[in-house]
Amino acid sequence: MLTTFLLLPLAGVLMIAFLPRTREHEAKWIALFVSALACALSLAIFVRFDRDAAGYQFVDRFEWIRAADAGFSVQYIVGVDGLSAPLVLLLGVLSLAAVLVSFNVTFRAREYFAWLLVLETAVAGVFTSLDLIQFFLFWELELLPMYLLISVWGSGRREYSAMKFLLYTISGSALMLVGFLVLGLAAGTFDIEQLTAQPPSDTLLPLQAVFWFVIAAFLVKLPIVPLHTWLPDAHTDAPTAVSVMLAGVLLKMGGYGILRIALPVLPEQAHDARVLLAALAAISVFYGAVLTLRQRDLKRLIAYSSVSHMGYVLLGVAAMGSVALSGAALQMVTHGLITGLLFIMVGLIYDRAHTREIAELSGLMHQMPLIGAATVVAGLAALGLPGLAGFVAEITVFLGALEAHPAATILAVFGVVLAAGYVLWAVQRVFMGARNERWSALPDFDAWWERAAVAGMLVLVLVVGVYPRVLSDVVAQGVAPLAAMLAGPAA
Amino acid sequence: MPDFPEAAAWTVYFAPLSAFVVVAALLRDRPREAGRLVVAAIGVAWLLSLWALAVVMDHDGEAIGFGAHHWMTVADFEFDVRICLDGLTAVMLVVVTSVALLVQVYSTEYMHGDGGYARYFAYMGLFTSSMLGLVLAGNLLQLFVFWELVGLSSYLLVGFWFDRPAAAAAAKKAFIVTRFGDFGFLLGLLLIWSKTGELDIATINEEAELLSSAVLAGFMLGLFAGAVGKSAQFPLHIWLPDAMEGPTPVSALIHAATMVAAGVYLLARFFPALEAAPAEVHTIVAYTGGLTALIAATMGIAATDIKRVLAYSTISQLGYMVLALGLGGYVAAVFHLFTHAFFKALLFLGAGSVNHATGTFDMREMGGLRTAMPITFVTFVLGALSLAGFPLTSGFWSKDEILLDAWNHDRVLFLVAAGVAFMTALYMTRAVVLTFLGEYRGGAPSAHGSLPNGSAHAPHESPLAMWASLAILAVPAILIGWTNVGGGFGELIEGALPEALRHGKPDTQAVVVVTGTLAALLGIGAGLALYLARQPASDAVRAWLGPLPRIVEQKYYMDTLAEDILVRRVLYGGAGRALELIDTYVIDGVVNGVGRAARLGGDALRRSTVGQQQAYSSLLLAGVVVAVVVLLVVSGNVLER
Repeated sequence: MLTTFLLLPLAGVLMIAFLPRTREHEAKWIALFVSALACALSLAIFVRFDRDAAGYQFVDRFEWIRAADAGFSVQYIVGVDGLSAPLVLLLGVLSLAAVLVSFNVTFRAREYFAWLLVLETAVAGVFTSLDLIQFFLFWELELLPMYLLISVWGSGRREYSAMKFLLYTISGSALMLVGFLVLGLAAGTFDIEQLTAQPPSDTLLPLQAVFWFVIAAFLVKLPIVPLHTWLPDAHTDAPTAVSVMLAGVLLKMGGYGILRIALPVLPEQAHDARVLLAALAAISVFYGAVLTLRQRDLKRLIAYSSVSHMGYVLLGVAAMGSVALSGAALQMVTHGLITGLLFIMVGLIYDRAHTREIAELSGLMHQMPLIGAATVVAGLAALGLPGLAGFVAEITVFLGALEAHPAATILAVFGVVLAAGYVLWAVQRVFMGARNERWSALPDFDAWWERAAVAGMLVLVLVVGVYPRVLSDVVAQGVAPLAAMLAGPAA
Repeated sequence: MPDFPEAAAWTVYFAPLSAFVVVAALLRDRPREAGRLVVAAIGVAWLLSLWALAVVMDHDGEAIGFGAHHWMTVADFEFDVRICLDGLTAVMLVVVTSVALLVQVYSTEYMHGDGGYARYFAYMGLFTSSMLGLVLAGNLLQLFVFWELVGLSSYLLVGFWFDRPAAAAAAKKAFIVTRFGDFGFLLGLLLIWSKTGELDIATINEEAELLSSAVLAGFMLGLFAGAVGKSAQFPLHIWLPDAMEGPTPVSALIHAATMVAAGVYLLARFFPALEAAPAEVHTIVAYTGGLTALIAATMGIAATDIKRVLAYSTISQLGYMVLALGLGGYVAAVFHLFTHAFFKALLFLGAGSVNHATGTFDMREMGGLRTAMPITFVTFVLGALSLAGFPLTSGFWSKDEILLDAWNHDRVLFLVAAGVAFMTALYMTRAVVLTFLGEYRGGAPSAHGSLPNGSAHAPHESPLAMWASLAILAVPAILIGWTNVGGGFGELIEGALPEALRHGKPDTQAVVVVTGTLAALLGIGAGLALYLARQPASDAVRAWLGPLPRIVEQKYYMDTLAEDILVRRVLYGGAGRALELIDTYVIDGVVNGVGRAARLGGDALRRSTVGQQQAYSSLLLAGVVVAVVVLLVVSGNVLER
């Protein structure tokens, strides 16, 4: 099932490849069909996931390189647990939404949609791989479509931003690869499950260094201050759909990598690093939020708010208790939904007004009451309003983290106050105020695909906010063994 | 009488909520139906609340036990929602639904012809349900959820006329300032959970004495911070006067009678825990209340906008309630909350009626309205008398209880409270004189703008739905204080407390009654003397007071301090600018520097390469392969050894 999920977008790429150039405009329908199918499949995986059974589910295994003599093997192995199943669903949903909001892309449409689908496969591979080498390959595969999507279909300083994104990530992944190789060679396996069961001890490099090597790539991806400056640039210059994918699922690769690899394989080293991680988290939350206040471009504003909100993920990780870890896992999903939706809304505004400068926009509520209302709801979710998805995750992180890291948690909770500041400030400037004649001709929602993407995301934000059990019960399955493992070194 | 079914309690909450959902989803273009639906839904909630009150009175105010409903589990954290229904909740339910019902009936006329009529009623439905959810909550997190949702409704309704910059700014300010308080609330919640694993309100209250005094103090101060924000106490009171930018019925319901009282309710709900907390906590609470009452009263004397006078008065009266809670006066605080809700809602609706006739809230443009608007005049005067504490009115009885608690526990605060009582009578007399007596000064389109049907011509009495609401509300405004003359109200709400904290009605002290009466009468007399005579007398007093009036008119520079200095200079211009410089020049400087160095190195290398992407990729790949091989060799050696 997971292998099908991985291959489905690639099948779409193949179909698009055989599409004659004269029928280029049909590429979007192929992409829609394929991503809708993938979304349905991810939903099926999520629903059929057994919340009461331990371990990985829907596992597919295939031995790839067997080098028993050298003491290791490389294999293809995919599976999901309570940590990855929600992310797989998130990926399915956001990929569909990304295709929908790309329906007005006409420039080199075949390639565009093909790369979008490649991106989905790459991220799906990261979220399902249970082998370090395989994980790394998918991790690197994601760079290619991202680089091209930003540098070809982007705007502004798109080449600079794309290259910055590429270099940041590659620097991180170089360290990660060294870490993986040291771990795998010492243990004689790259199988994450086996590595988790028997963490290697006799390694080439000190394990504490290996931990930082591995987590460095994840911290870049989250991103955590001071490794974050690629994000605002990449977001600002990326097309809408790519921003949606970037904020919605790509950042989660970082958080997921920490939960899937860094913590379970190196629990003692993680435990030793927890204070530093908590400090980094609190700094990210606060620094990100203060800088968000100063942004004048809507996309940069959301990008910096992501830096702040992903700090909550790291705070949950640093606290290492089961509640906090659940909060981190929940925050990844809710932030993906909320920020994905916010980028869609900004994209819709930009499509109409052709500017994202907050100073130029005003009174848009008059022209676009529904877009305005949806943006306000998304903004309220981002500032952690109860009843919407973000609150559930944030409160869980805070509850779990206060005891372990009181100072960092207090600073992080203050981020919620700042969030109210930047969200409501932007809403006031962009949507409120007198009718602005310059924007009098702008339409509200005018295409079915806009409505569909926004309505679907809003429903999810509301459902998770009102009835979080749909998510939390699944997450609990994945967090339980991890928390037990981390409780070991603490004791 | 049969017990109160849990389904009925949930219906109290869900009736207005479903009205909100239906209006938002289906009735956006059908304003008449939208208004009627919301009124009907609140009517249902009101009837059920009366029933709940009757049942709870039958139980002597003790809680009717409802089970917990499991909502969410995250590892050790379990979130159960539970309905709490005791004397305190029942009283709050009746206050909220009664005032809400009359305010909505009033609004059907007041908002008539507004383009956002349906949206207005949708928000009002959302607010009413959230407020009812707040008072019904039996779990602290559940309470916090509704606490935030009433804040949201307030935001939406203050900013209802979003095309007016002042309204949009006021809505934002209200939400953000109260969020500072919520920051404390949230920390308190986190603290109590991490120390006890408990969020059930009844359990926390029962076991408060077992907690270490530091934890309990931290917890209560956290909740108190929340109350300071929501109930507009110093120094977070600055949002409430601005919130008057919302439609006047909103001010009556949310910013006078119900939501702003939620902070007081929160402290009352946790009264057993508050009592168990160290004495320092009580002192902080009581003196914050006293200080707030005092400074708000002075600002009430200086304001020229009738709604702002009432807003400062609300802050001041909430300060009274907080003061009482700090001194252990649970009954006095809740009783004053109860009477205040009615007479202050009446006063706001009266101000709305005046605005409807004159198109302004500026009292300097009014005057002489007693003949044109007799019903508004009479009801407003009744409300003002009650607020001023005129003998035998509702406000007199409840204020007397607060003065009594102050006299028994803290004479300094007694003097403060008495001074505030005098000032209250003074500024309310001033408001009545400027608005209704003398000659009509013409009205004007005010800075808030008038409603489309608000006329600047000859003022006339408001339509039936409005004056009838005023007339009905005037009855409890003036009479409901009699409910505790025999101590009945106190017994009912003390049912929510453990036996040990039920004190019954304290003995009346002649000195307190005399002080309260004198303060009210002197204030009224001084107001008449100063303002009926108009300019000369008040100018003389002003001159005599030196720079004081100017400081008060500038709101003690609190807005300047908060907005211009703390937010713009320190946070935005200081910290924000500094971090931005770090971001741009330090972090990105390093990144770009590394990039540039790499490019220079690359330029050197380019002579030996073709300069194409593929070449770089192959180099990268080659590098990786080399790294792998090296590692394999090295680690192989390690393994062999």
